[in-house]
This record gives sequence, structure tokens and C-alpha cells, in this order.
Amino acid sequence: MLKMRGVAKSFITDTVKTQALHPFDLEIQQGEFVAVVGPSGSGKTTFLNIAGLLEEHTEGQYFLDEKETTGLSDKFKSSLRNQKIGFIFQSFNLIPELNLFDNVEMPLRYRDFSAKERSERVLNALEQVGLAGRKSHYPQQLSGGQQQRVAIARALAGSPSFLLADEPTGNLDSKMAEGIMSLLKDINKQGTSILMVTHDMDQAQQASRIVEIRDGYLNEQKVAKTA
Amino acid sequence: MLFYYIKLAIYSLKRTPLLSFLMISTISIGIAATMITYTVSYMMNKDPIPSKSERLFTVHLSTWGIDNMYRMRDGKEEIPVFVTYQDAMNLYNAQKAPKQTIIGSYKAMTRSSEQPVKDATSTYIRSTTYEFFEMFNTPFIYGSGWSASEDEEGAQVVILSKKRNEKLFGGQNSIGKEVLIGGILHRVVGVFDDWPLIPRFYLEEFDALTEVRDMFVPFRTQMNNEWVASKDSSIYCWGEFELSDFHSVINSECVWLYFWIELESAEHRDEYLDFVNNYAQEQRLLGRFQREQMNRVLDVNESINHSNVMGDDSKVAVWLAAAFLFACLLNSMSLMMTKFHGKGGEVGLRRAIGASRQDIALQFGLETFIVGLLGGIIGLGLANLGLLVTAEVYSHLNAELMKMNIEIVITTLLLSIVTSTLFGLYPIYRACKIEPSSQLKSL
Repeated sequence: MLKMRGVAKSFITDTVKTQALHPFDLEIQQGEFVAVVGPSGSGKTTFLNIAGLLEEHTEGQYFLDEKETTGLSDKFKSSLRNQKIGFIFQSFNLIPELNLFDNVEMPLRYRDFSAKERSERVLNALEQVGLAGRKSHYPQQLSGGQQQRVAIARALAGSPSFLLADEPTGNLDSKMAEGIMSLLKDINKQGTSILMVTHDMDQAQQASRIVEIRDGYLNEQKVAKTA
Repeated sequence: MLFYYIKLAIYSLKRTPLLSFLMISTISIGIAATMITYTVSYMMNKDPIPSKSERLFTVHLSTWGIDNMYRMRDGKEEIPVFVTYQDAMNLYNAQKAPKQTIIGSYKAMTRSSEQPVKDATSTYIRSTTYEFFEMFNTPFIYGSGWSASEDEEGAQVVILSKKRNEKLFGGQNSIGKEVLIGGILHRVVGVFDDWPLIPRFYLEEFDALTEVRDMFVPFRTQMNNEWVASKDSSIYCWGEFELSDFHSVINSECVWLYFWIELESAEHRDEYLDFVNNYAQEQRLLGRFQREQMNRVLDVNESINHSNVMGDDSKVAVWLAAAFLFACLLNSMSLMMTKFHGKGGEVGLRRAIGASRQDIALQFGLETFIVGLLGGIIGLGLANLGLLVTAEVYSHLNAELMKMNIEIVITTLLLSIVTSTLFGLYPIYRACKIEPSSQLKSL
């Protein structure tokens, strides 16, 4: 599903070359739950941006569902992001002036769905996260945990190949974080792959694989299953 | 998708009410200032009689003496826009054009025959020949112009303006009623409808922006009554003359009458000019027209340009207003930059979940369009308010000058939308260049 071969990222500023990510190979299969861990400044966000097609890698090849993504046009990459990837952010990133329905509907607006299909998908996604009854509410009327559920519904609405979660529980207390992790695991069990960046080793242990990034080097870790 | 973007634009405007208010009001004030000055200028400059402006000509003659130049203008010798009584009559009686008319002026006390003497008012009266009304497409609500025979005999007939008819006869059909002009009874034969002719091109620049005169009488009638009011109308003289003596004035070289002709087509103009020059040569043999001959026939638009009705001041005013609009648009552009910069997080999010740069450009483009449209609508309201105030302040000018027609209304809206969209392009370009990865933690 996701295949990276010799992917690396470097920045050149004032003739100084900075290697943010050293060349690495990575393959994620359909239905996997992969956690990405590592200290701050190690290159996690750069890795996530490359995986999410938000940033271009400078070396190597990146295949998404067998499709080579290197050098694609902005329009094509936008369309790939829309169809294949569901984003979940640490700070939820909901639009405050839109209600839950409109927030979840947002990615569907950039696809050729009919109004009826959009509506069905939004309601299904809200149902999946347990917020179908609150579709007319606004983000500020919800708790942090509920807001993140809406963000997950938004990521799911377009039926993506995988979810990219950047510290999804970083802004939540432990009880809410537990709820979100449990929801993500449920989604994963239903067949959606998840690539999650986290600082929390306990959460990382709940994934099927752990990838560690340290000083720009990416290494696979053995998962010590606790459950 | 269009409705979705409209919905987003409205949400966005509501989200930052102060910024939205500032942007819209900045554009509307600039648009209003520009459109007030532009309206006045446009109304002054538009072709007042498009159906025949190329076929109507005024005749100017070089009648001044060998040692007397009429006047200098822009470093050149100028000839008068008026002709003498004897030239007007000679040209008129020659009947060389299919239609020709003499236009004069005087002032008298007037009232309806039913009004007491104390209600008489001093009125500027226009005298002319019967051809005038057809030549200048004069609209009537009651009756019509007087006949050729009434013209010839100098009948005591009068045509009233709509306004004067309302004042004297309550707006009723007053045909056949009587009006006293200078103590002499005149029968009403026609009442003009509204006649918003801008500029009133058949007159000189000082009168070109005034409303139509309240009373029109046959030129012959004026002459029969020996009414030449040198104090009350433009009259320029040289040679021997006595302004207080009617016969002296009409036999002198004093110029005070307009002479207009209507030709079948603009191509006949040279032919008529040849006739005028031949006439001047004949007069020269009689001792008149001694200066180098600069006779001319000017069509309507040439005559307007020559009169400089627009004036350089109003041109400068339009440019200043446009510069003010430019400043307002720059201001609005900086406000848009602020607004779109503040939406970096939303742009990042939308880009991440699948919006292309084109989608973002469309979304913000529509928002700018709506700001321009609202600015245009409010600017239109403000401009009309400004024109009302201007019309009050300059009440001596034709009120039609301060009214927008449908073309100007559409121009106003388009100007607002096009300029604000144009000035919004850079902020939109900047918004499209936002890298989603840099913004996702800032929403």
C-alpha cells in the first residue's frame, strides 16, 4: 500500500546542506497500525509530511497504492491526498464557523460526490465516532476528545487507504486519550491502515509495528506486545 | 461548488466583521467618490442627440472689423459663436439647408391671464423659429410647436416648459390658454415634456448645463415687439451701436443670435461651408467681413468641445477621484492580505485534505468578488446620496447632470468588482502559495 525506497530529505540554506532524513526504506501493508516514535527534532514531522504528500522528498521513490508520487503536479497530489489519505492532527484543526456536518463534509467537497452521497458519508462517519446526534453543533460546543472524534470522522468520510495521525492524543487528558486510541484501534480492526506519530511509548506499544526516527535515521523496532 | 464557495465567503466575512466592514467601506467610499465625479463628467460629455449629432451644425462667422479682433483663446484668434441679426436673417432666408433656425433670448415679466399683476415673475424667454422643435427632437406633452405661418407673421403664441405649466396651470392641458408676456397676451400652443438635454448643446458654455427655458416664443414675435434685452443676454459688439436702441442693435455688428442648421447628412457640410464663405465674400464687397475669414460650421460634438462645457477642472476632478479610488483599493488590498494571512491555518488544512491551489484561489477569489459587489452596492448608494447633495448645492445646474443612468449603475458595480478582484489577486496568490505543512499546527 505504502512503499518508500531510498527516500531522503535535505534542505539547502545559504550553501549549507542539512540532512533532515537519511535514505530509508519502508513498506506498510493494508490493515497495519504503525507507530512512529522519536524525540523532538528527530525528523518525525518531516517524515509525516512526506508520507502525507505535503512535502516533496529530495531523493528516492515513494509509491502510494503502486502509484509513484515523485514529481506529481500540485493538482494530482491534492487529489491523491483527498482520496487516499485521511489526516488527523494534534490540535484537531476544525473550522470554528462550520458545524460538525460541514467540517466532516469538507474533504468530500473536493471530490465529485453528489449531495446525497456526501450526506450519507458524513452521517456514517459521525455515526462511527459516536457523534451522529450532534451534527448541527459547532466545534466550540464540544470537549477536546469529542473534537478529535470529529476530526477522525472527517478523515474517515472519504474512505481513505490509510490514516495519518500526528500526535492525535497530544492535546487530550489521559481518559480522553484512551478513548481516542480505542477508537483508532477499532477503525484499524475494520481494515484501515494507520500511521501514527506519537511521543507516548504506551500508545506506540498498542500499534502492530513501531518505527523509530532518531537524528534523521529511521529504524524499525520490535514491538513488545503487552495485550 | 460555486454555492459552497459563496457560503464559505459569507461565513468568512462574518467571522471577521471589523475587517470585512473596513474592506467593504474602504472600497465603497472610493467607488462613491469616483462615481460622483464620473457621473457629472459623463453626463456632460455624452452625445446629447446621438440620432443626428453629425447632421446638426452651428454656423460661426468672422464678422469682426479689420482693426478689431473678437478675442484671443489659447493663443489664437477666436470668432464668436453668435451671429448678427442681419446675418442670421440672410442665412435663414437663403434656406440653403433643409432646416435652419435662429435662436435668441430676452427677459420679460410673465403671468397667466388669470393671475393678478403682483404674481408676475421675471422670466428668461427663448425666441426661435418653428424648425427648432423638429431639429432638436423637442418632446411635448400637450400641443406642438407653432406653425410656419405663425412664425412668419410673428403670432403671439407661446410654448411652456412642463415646470412652468405646472406652476401656471397646475399641470393641466393648457393649450389655448393665455399668458401675458411683457403685458402682451400670448396663446399657449404647446407644453414641453421633461427635456433632460445635457449639455444643452445649442447654447454657449455658460448656459449649456441649465434646464430648458420656461417660455419659447417665435423669433419674429420678439422682433415685432422690439424686444432686445442687451442687459439680459449675451451680446458682443464692435463698430457703431447703441444698445438701448432696438434698430441700432439689429443694424449693427452686434452678435447675439445662435444659428443652427440640419443637413441631410454630414457629407453636405462642405457644401454648406462653401455657401457660407461665398456669403462672406459677398458681404466683404459691401464693406463687411474685413478680417481674414475663419468662418466655420461645427457639428454638435465639435461645438460642445469648442464650448469646453466639461472644463479642465472637472477632468482633473475625475483624475483625482480615480487616484483616491486607487488609494482606497491599495488600502483594501492590505486588509485582504491581513485577512488571508489570518486564514493560513484553514488554507493549510484545506490543502492537506485535498484542495488544490486552484480551489483555494477560487474560494478566496469569490470572497473578494463578494467584497467588491457589496462595496459596489454600498458605493452606489453613497454616490447617489452624494449626487443628491451636489444637486442641492448646485441647484442652478440641470438636475439631470446629477443622476445616474443604468449604464453608470452597471459601470459602478463592474468597476467595484473588477478593481477589488484585481487588487485581491496578490493576496490570493500569497494565500495559494501557503505550504500546508507549515500551517497545520496553527489553526
